[in-house]
Amino acid sequence: MMEVLSGLGTGFSVALTPFNLMLVLGGCFAGTLIGALPGIGPINGVAILLPIAYGLGFPPESALILLAGIYYGAEYGGRISSILLNVPGDAGAVMTTLDGNPMARNGQAGKALSLSAVASFVGGTVSVVLMSLFGPVLASFGVKFQPSDYVALMVFAFACLASLVGSSPVKTLIGALIGLMLATVGVDANTGVQRYSFGIPDLLAGIDFLIVVIGLFGMAELFHLVESQVRGRLSTVPIDKSFVTWADLARTKWTILRSSLIGFIIGVLPGTGASVASAVAYGTEKRMAGAGGANFGKGDIRGLAAPEAANNGSAGGALVPMLTLGIPGSGTTAILLGALLMFNVTPGPMLFAQRPEIAWGLIASMYIGNVALLVLNLPLVGLFARMLTIPQHYLTPLIAILAFIGIYSIVGNPFDLYMIIGLGVFGWILRKLDFALAPVILGFVLGSLFENNLRRALSISGGDWRILFSTVDSLVLYALAVAVVVVPIWLSRRSRRFAAVAEDE
Amino acid sequence: MPDRIFAAALAVVTLIYGALAFFVISAPFQYDPLGPEAWPRLLSVAMLLCLIGLLWRPATRDFDVDGPSWARLALVLALLVGYAVLFQPLGFILSTALFAAITSRLLGAAWPRAALFGVLIGAGGYLLCVGLLDLNLPAGPLPRL
Repeated sequence: MMEVLSGLGTGFSVALTPFNLMLVLGGCFAGTLIGALPGIGPINGVAILLPIAYGLGFPPESALILLAGIYYGAEYGGRISSILLNVPGDAGAVMTTLDGNPMARNGQAGKALSLSAVASFVGGTVSVVLMSLFGPVLASFGVKFQPSDYVALMVFAFACLASLVGSSPVKTLIGALIGLMLATVGVDANTGVQRYSFGIPDLLAGIDFLIVVIGLFGMAELFHLVESQVRGRLSTVPIDKSFVTWADLARTKWTILRSSLIGFIIGVLPGTGASVASAVAYGTEKRMAGAGGANFGKGDIRGLAAPEAANNGSAGGALVPMLTLGIPGSGTTAILLGALLMFNVTPGPMLFAQRPEIAWGLIASMYIGNVALLVLNLPLVGLFARMLTIPQHYLTPLIAILAFIGIYSIVGNPFDLYMIIGLGVFGWILRKLDFALAPVILGFVLGSLFENNLRRALSISGGDWRILFSTVDSLVLYALAVAVVVVPIWLSRRSRRFAAVAEDE
Repeated sequence: MPDRIFAAALAVVTLIYGALAFFVISAPFQYDPLGPEAWPRLLSVAMLLCLIGLLWRPATRDFDVDGPSWARLALVLALLVGYAVLFQPLGFILSTALFAAITSRLLGAAWPRAALFGVLIGAGGYLLCVGLLDLNLPAGPLPRL
């Protein structure tokens, strides 16, 4: 406990310096603005702003604080387009549209927006408190991890991905493998052998992480916008004067707390983030409401509060495995992990011990970011909602220009610009075919970690593959990996059998 | 059907990837049991297994893009490539002004507004990014800030 308090002390002393405080606020503001653009979700928002934040040349803890602010802001800004436009910015916001948009159309747009701000705030705060309690515990556990345990952890992470994320397990695995394969391009660090660089000098150092992120998320998003633009106009619900009341909050307080917890726990599971968390929370609330839940999907405030709280709960939860084990808990945290690596900060069990100012500074900035978002959003939501009315013909070139600025300002290499266009086309095709893009980026970020740990484990054992199954930790992780694949199949079989029995009666 | 085509195309890429891993990549000398080729070999085998699964049971019904959308996508792609080609030689201000004006015009803005948008974004973006944020952008033939 003392350790947590002193850590938080360190963190706040970093995050409360005027400069960093300004960055949190600025990041939240910019993140909300870009997240509120129609169709641009948090992951795209963070992707588009990441290279620019990197190019500013701040010290690592400041840059990370800025990014965390953007991440938080974009998570919130995405809700505005879900509620007012019925266009979810990402998979995590789909559940928000179910009750949020009907509320707005029933003349409660202001209430829906303010309630989602409060629910997000509670979800975010609950998860960041839990994170500061459990993070260091998990880190001290992770210190003992050997390379073979890391291999088991990766297997667990990809099992979670395959079982819980995306439309079909095979497609999710293919996506992850594409990411892993992209990560093998470049000179092998252990032997100096070139792999898949075909003598192109720009590929010797491997494909830059930022290029993959901007290409797959930013540029693919642009093609998606261009494609959907032809198909008719989006209509915005105007904001009205309605506002969340204490009675609403009293009615939803347990919903919000439960959903925050669900969100946090699902966020901690490697690979699964906001989309799974919000879906599970929404389903749980609907089931618990029983007969009183007939209004779900038509504008029930509980149906809006649950996914919103779970969403932000998972945002904090997803940072736990990333900061403590180096395994990102979701697609967006995979981007943050890549950002850490760019600053030569290796997240993992040693981070809390070696770079406390970064680990705790980030956590403290999330406390501040939560408050900042609530303060920014309740009065300024009208301003952010104006972003929705930016016509598509200005928005589309704007995304491309932001992406070009970000990519070019890293090293000034025009070759990178062609790479992001190519990856953008590829990402758009993947999206059209119902592939989730988050597994690709997770695979890409985890690729070298996975490979290096496997090779290190086998050099320790002198080539004996049994080392992979030699420790208790690894066996537990393999068991969990099997469980996470088998249990959902078993559950769906069981519920189908129940349904069949019910029909017989 | 689109799933099958995609899986087949990716299978070709994976076969090349795997062939390189099995027959080409090798370290001149190494002390570790696993060299640089082992991991790509594993990946290519896993990928082929998954692709066989997708070929066996495709999930997406149709690709669902109509004619006008294809035309517009191709146009935007061409504009992007043109922007990338001109980015360094023309410099940020000129290339961005051109790209922004033409793209917004083609996507539906009126000429005067599109032109104004291009000029504003080109000049304003340069002032903001280079003057205020100190980012590295090409100046082209225009004098550096």
